[in-house]
Amino acid sequence: MTPRVLVVDDDTALAEMIGIVLRTEGFDPTFCTDGTSALAAFRDTRPDLVLLDLMLPGMDGIEICGRIRAESGTPIIMLTAKNDTADVVKGLESGADDYMVKPFNPKELVARIRTRLRPAPDPVVETLAIGDLTIDAAGHEVRRGDERINLTPLEFDLLLTLASKPQQVFTREMLLEQVWGYHYKADTRLVNVHVQRLRAKVEYDPDNPRIVMTVRGVGYRAGATT
Amino acid sequence: MSQAADAPSPFAGSWRELPRRLATLWRRSLQFRTVIITLGLSGLAILLIGLYISLSIASNLFQDQRERVLEASNNATAAAQGLVESSDASDPGSLQLLMNSVIGTISSVSGSTDFAIFRHPDAPANPNAPPGRRSPSLSGAIITDDLRDQVQGDPDGQYWQSVALPDPDDDTVPGIIVGSTLDVPAAGRYELYIGYDLTEAEQTLSFMQLTGIVGAAALLALLSAITLIVVRWVIEPIRTTAATSRRLAAGDLGVRMPVRGEDELATLAASFNGMADSLQARIRELAELSVVQQRFVSDVSHELRTPLTTIRLAGDVLYGQREDFPPPTSRTVELLHTQTDRFERLLGDLLEISRYDAGSVTLATEPTNLVHLAGDAIESMYELARDRGSELRLVAPGGHLEAEVDPRRIRRVVRNLLGNAIEHGEGRPIVVSVDSNESAIALSVRDYGMGMTEEDAARVFDRFWRADPSRTRTIGGTGLGLAISLEDAVAHGGTLDVWSRPGEGTVFRLTLPRSADVATLVSPLPLEPEDAGAEGPPPTESMGSVEPETVVEIDHETDSEGVRDA
Repeated sequence: MTPRVLVVDDDTALAEMIGIVLRTEGFDPTFCTDGTSALAAFRDTRPDLVLLDLMLPGMDGIEICGRIRAESGTPIIMLTAKNDTADVVKGLESGADDYMVKPFNPKELVARIRTRLRPAPDPVVETLAIGDLTIDAAGHEVRRGDERINLTPLEFDLLLTLASKPQQVFTREMLLEQVWGYHYKADTRLVNVHVQRLRAKVEYDPDNPRIVMTVRGVGYRAGATT
Repeated sequence: MSQAADAPSPFAGSWRELPRRLATLWRRSLQFRTVIITLGLSGLAILLIGLYISLSIASNLFQDQRERVLEASNNATAAAQGLVESSDASDPGSLQLLMNSVIGTISSVSGSTDFAIFRHPDAPANPNAPPGRRSPSLSGAIITDDLRDQVQGDPDGQYWQSVALPDPDDDTVPGIIVGSTLDVPAAGRYELYIGYDLTEAEQTLSFMQLTGIVGAAALLALLSAITLIVVRWVIEPIRTTAATSRRLAAGDLGVRMPVRGEDELATLAASFNGMADSLQARIRELAELSVVQQRFVSDVSHELRTPLTTIRLAGDVLYGQREDFPPPTSRTVELLHTQTDRFERLLGDLLEISRYDAGSVTLATEPTNLVHLAGDAIESMYELARDRGSELRLVAPGGHLEAEVDPRRIRRVVRNLLGNAIEHGEGRPIVVSVDSNESAIALSVRDYGMGMTEEDAARVFDRFWRADPSRTRTIGGTGLGLAISLEDAVAHGGTLDVWSRPGEGTVFRLTLPRSADVATLVSPLPLEPEDAGAEGPPPTESMGSVEPETVVEIDHETDSEGVRDA
């Protein structure tokens, strides 16, 4: 089955060109050219991934990103003409999994989409423990006792990666490679923002984390199981 | 020199410093200077006036006294003359009695107990005549021969002389001696001298002088105080003006001076405010213009990005299929591809520069090892250098430490410098040096290529500048690389310097503070290379064996990390 990709971009030429690239690579793209109808298009098509331009007429990309995230964990990749700190961080904080700065090349685009759509590697063990959480790797579920915690696929990947090697300290670069699929120096803000989002969901007190621990000057590691 | 003189007194410093401090105060403080000048000039004036008044009072007083004394003396002489003329004494006993009563009369009439009576030298010898007498205060040479000569020469005259009379405390007091002649019918002619004490007059004078001095001092003090107050009155607004203009100069464009009244100071304040107003308006205008321009550049760059993305995607799709096209089309697609790349880099650099121009650059610093960073950069440029025949070497006697820098920007600077060195290095080796001292860390890139003239080197950081417009860009720099590198260095609080000589090569030296709180930057690396003029660096073997340095040789086949400690 071909993965469906919703392309939200007001520039029709670019949208069409992205469509050509995606079709060549075996995706099924659908298009939406303005912000106001983006959410409806998302609900209609139930895509596997959203490519979202940050600057849109109608509703701006960051707003749409937040709304989609509120109802679904579908991977979102932002397309932005600006890589200024504020804009990118705002986009990531509103729930985008990754971002691409224009102009990008087709290989990069396809690689980013594939990473976000790749099936999780077959788990070595069925369940893992991190802090007081139980991760059901096969069922893509995280539980605290009987309570199910809703994570996006990216957040799940992040937590699973940390939990799979509880003894190891992961640098931001290692996480960028294993979770985001970057094989070169990339933006470590991706990791910082998503660790914050993950903590907001799984920690009792995000300011005093017990599950995703910070190792100062190095990176992150899993909290001790309880 | 004695021991005590050698030992520094605790107060010597401050006393020795006093003249210097006063000189500084004189130079710096208008108030101090004005007060001192006022004090000096009015002091002089008061002194002159005081002297004149004192002198004229003294001479008036003396004249008064002298006239009184002369009159008293005249009366006394007349009374004594009357007494002797009415007497008929002729024998020594009665003459002696007469003399005694004459003396009594003189004393009571003149009011002075200081007197002297001498027999006139021209008087005929008379054994019955009583001898002269004198009171002890007029003894010795106090009555001068001059006075006596005058008295002796003119029996009817009255002569006087200023003298210092002895007083009971063995001191002297000013006085006058008046001389006249007394004719005793039975005994002949006598000289009569009466001394008058002028102490009282002198006391009056000195009391007046004291009063005058106290008055003058009080007047001077009052004048100083008045000057101080008046000067302060005038100076205070000037001080305010100075402080306000300092704040204005420091960039606080909103400061204004208070305008009070309609005097000169109010005019000063008003015109100062006018100046500040127009300055503020002009600066705001320029700032707005600059913001508009920067936003325009930024917007243009962003607006260009979307169509460029489409072109890029299209070009890359075509480029991926270029083998299916006939050769001319295939080449066209290749050109499209490379030029799209170049256009993209240019746009990226333009955007970066516009970000620096807008002042919206924030550094993302993290502890970074510059030696490793240089090694990584060299590795990434390895293939390009090999194509040009240039060998890349890393020499790092120091710098093996974690410096707080933005690694993405510094990596960009190093890659840019390496690119330039490779392009202009004419295939000769290129040496990258890293060193550090306690405050700074430096990296230099040295090539042995064509070099530049001094004028060219001075312009090398200018935007879109080319040393030789006819020279083609082979590596495809955008013309903004060095300008951005300089901005990157400056954003770190560092410097980027260039040394270049035609035919001898070029050195770019990047110096960065090790942490943000370094005040003065002293680069650990020299700008002018020690081997200036050499054709190339010494062979690696000798460098590695002689120096206890880290020589890092980039060798792709054996060492994938590209870094090896010697």
